Amino acid sequence: MESNTCKQCRQFFPVPEGADDYQAGKADCVIEKEDEKGKYWLSKPVYETSQQCEAFRMKH
Amino acid sequence: MNQMVSAKVLEYRSKTLNFTPEDPTEAKIPAEELHEHLQKPSTARTKRLKDRCRWKHASAGEFIEKSVTAGIERMRYLTEAHKASVGQPQVIRRALGLANVLNKGTLVLQQDEFIIGYHAEDPNMFPLYPELSHMAVQDYLMSDYSPQPAKEAQEINEYWKPHSLQSKCQPYFDMADLGRMYQVSSMEAPSFASGYNSIVPPYETVLEDGLLARIKLAEKNIVQAQKVMTTFPWNGTTGLDNIDKIDNWKAMIIACKAVIAWARRHARLCRIVAENFETDPKRQAELLEIADICQRIPAEPCKGLKDAMQAKFFTFLICHAIERYASGYAQKEDTLLWPYYKASVIDKKFQPMDHMGAVELVEMERLKISEHGAGKSRAYREIFPGSNDLFILTVGGTKADGSDACNDMTDAILEAAKRIRTAEPSIVFRYSKVNRPQTLRWVFNCVRDGLGYPSIKHDDIGTAQMKEFSQYSLNHNGATDEEAHNWVNVLCMSPGIHGRRKTQKTRSEGGGSIFPAKLLEITLNNGYDWSYADMQLGPKTGELSTLKSFDDVWEAFRKQYQYALNLCISTKDVSRYFEQRFLQMPFVSSIDDGCMELGMDANALSEQPNGWHNPITTIVAANSMVAIKKLVFDEKKYTLEQLNQALMANWEGYEEMRLEFKRAPKWGNDDSYADPIITKFYEDIIGGEMRKITNYSGGPVLPTGQAVGLYMEVGSRTGPTPDGRFGGEAADDGGISPYMGTDKKGPTAVLRSVSKVQKNQKANLLNQRLSVPIMRSQHGFDIWHSYMDTWFDLKIDHVQFNVVSTDELKAAQREPEKHQDLIVRVSGYSARFVDIPTYGQNTIIARQEQDFSASDLEFLNVDI
Repeated sequence: MESNTCKQCRQFFPVPEGADDYQAGKADCVIEKEDEKGKYWLSKPVYETSQQCEAFRMKH
Repeated sequence: MNQMVSAKVLEYRSKTLNFTPEDPTEAKIPAEELHEHLQKPSTARTKRLKDRCRWKHASAGEFIEKSVTAGIERMRYLTEAHKASVGQPQVIRRALGLANVLNKGTLVLQQDEFIIGYHAEDPNMFPLYPELSHMAVQDYLMSDYSPQPAKEAQEINEYWKPHSLQSKCQPYFDMADLGRMYQVSSMEAPSFASGYNSIVPPYETVLEDGLLARIKLAEKNIVQAQKVMTTFPWNGTTGLDNIDKIDNWKAMIIACKAVIAWARRHARLCRIVAENFETDPKRQAELLEIADICQRIPAEPCKGLKDAMQAKFFTFLICHAIERYASGYAQKEDTLLWPYYKASVIDKKFQPMDHMGAVELVEMERLKISEHGAGKSRAYREIFPGSNDLFILTVGGTKADGSDACNDMTDAILEAAKRIRTAEPSIVFRYSKVNRPQTLRWVFNCVRDGLGYPSIKHDDIGTAQMKEFSQYSLNHNGATDEEAHNWVNVLCMSPGIHGRRKTQKTRSEGGGSIFPAKLLEITLNNGYDWSYADMQLGPKTGELSTLKSFDDVWEAFRKQYQYALNLCISTKDVSRYFEQRFLQMPFVSSIDDGCMELGMDANALSEQPNGWHNPITTIVAANSMVAIKKLVFDEKKYTLEQLNQALMANWEGYEEMRLEFKRAPKWGNDDSYADPIITKFYEDIIGGEMRKITNYSGGPVLPTGQAVGLYMEVGSRTGPTPDGRFGGEAADDGGISPYMGTDKKGPTAVLRSVSKVQKNQKANLLNQRLSVPIMRSQHGFDIWHSYMDTWFDLKIDHVQFNVVSTDELKAAQREPEKHQDLIVRVSGYSARFVDIPTYGQNTIIARQEQDFSASDLEFLNVDI
């Protein structure tokens, strides 16, 4: 079975054209986390063809 | 249970002084829980932020919060770039390394925060620096805090071994000498092995110009240099200089562009969270405001106080934690932020807010620093017990024309510190007699609340030092007389220039420690360390039988000191040599006007010399000299051989003899026997020998006596000493502080003793512990103010205070969970008392709690 790619994830936010780090297919992967100290969000660069990770959440 | 204020009264100038609390409601607070009642965060948000603060404090080398670990991203992306850039100029490789970390690293945004940015991939992590010290990384790999995956981290660390600063520098030294330094008992280990560093970033250019303007400057300089290189007639003796310059400017451009893109990634993150995760409309709007700020700055000049805070924090992260590790938080914060405070608070031109809005921003800044983790080795975690790292900012003082530099931003910084009650960042106040009363009152409010800061520095002495060091400038561009007023503490104690150029960029200029107590111990054993390392720790300076007079002992010590000192400073300068070849800092260079103008790396360019080194444990050595002179050579009660026999038994079986040595005159009592000897020890040997050395920058090196937590660490490695101290006991806790509990003649006797040391010193830390009831009484400010004016007139460099009762300290030892807000001054930094190991806590309790007698008040000329 083929695995999903980052592009299909709800946490995939394409880098807008004109941004300093714009590349076709590049996006910010933004994940919400929470621990005993509270909520926080992490953002790391990904590409639409990257294979899904364990935090993958399918877009509706 | 004792009440806070004792019933004490004092007769003074025909008046009866009652020391009742200035705030009558405090009379009902038990003495042993006072500090738990003093915090008053200015907003509900800052209270929440403090309650959930991700402290990174360490105690006995272990992180206190269990979730804290090292991250891997910085080392991973730095290494990836290093491998991919083989063959390119080294400074370009350094810039590409920074860019790769910033482009690929994970960003962090936390709930509630307004000042954003972090230096690792998770708010519970901190980065590591294998290019600085592979030994420090190895230390983490062997611990519970290891970066994961550990195998990848191990491979990265192995990769860096041949490329690290340590590998570059070590071949130029005798391993026997380095082996002595690695004991960290007579000398601190060389910085090329520890990776420990400090810096004063030129924040001013970032806030005033913005990085886009810095890029334009570099581009213009490249065009100019290329033009010179193609102009007839070619001159190879000067033309080739342009190669390095062009590479440096190119690297600066790469670095600045990467920082702008990184800040704008933060802007996107805020927008994404506002639009996709956050449901509270107020927070959504705030996130969009933060996004707007991060889109504009640090690319563009700052226009308001929120801009300035954010630009400053991003710059701090790059200069202190991402491009290279550096301890500290050096900046003249009130001067730096004043134009933006004025724009936002007074003129309401941009980001309008009231004064309390500024106070809230500073509280949030303090909490961001409290969360900042530093990837220091275990040894360096141990020597700052109770803290995460050293963070010290400076306020107050005088302007270039000598007028008062205090402003409403100064007051906002101090008020925020008092309200939020965090141990870090520490604050230095430059005390001058022209400082305005309202700001002095804020200084006092912080001091009497027991924060341990502001620590107070003498404004005139610091300014005079900047002028003196300026004379040695190798490019004749040291601080002008006006710029000499622009100084801050670089780290705990030593002043250095702040501003757009001429600031200190590396600890190889000033910093590092030497330990006179251990040197005295081995002087009595022909250079051999019998009590700790069991090795020859210094040169052979004579068997006891050859030390026939006190002068012989004195001169033997001098030789030990000279040997250790030469090694300390030469290792720093060799580090500097290689730092500028392999550890360039293109971002720091880009924001320094000198580096930008000259096309030089920040490690290489030295316009304002600022050489210093930290003697720590000097008073144990000096008190020991006094005891030796009195009991061995003057009174001839014992021979040196008998003394050494007792010492080697750790005084066991020699208690009566130990008490005699312990009762010998001690520093801090205005004693006519001890003080001349100790003054000479400071001025002739500690400072006099150090001044003979010339460092990389062309200036002399001067002593900056301050102990951090090393007075405990090195005390534990120092055998019994002739001042009556047992082996392993803590040493003296300051740079010129009396040994704990031995200053028994009151606070003004301490001032009189300390004021005698004037020649050949750069800075000397003076710890004093003041009476809580007196400081919190209606007379507290007047007494403190008179004390400070007297201190100023006596030309003493520094003083800092603990204002906390023994009852409260002991209660906190019994029930630490109830005393989370109890802060104490350790040495050059403050810490939560409950985060300090018991050994260290006991050294604070043992410090003499100074009361004020009528004669003290008379000496201070207190007008009540």
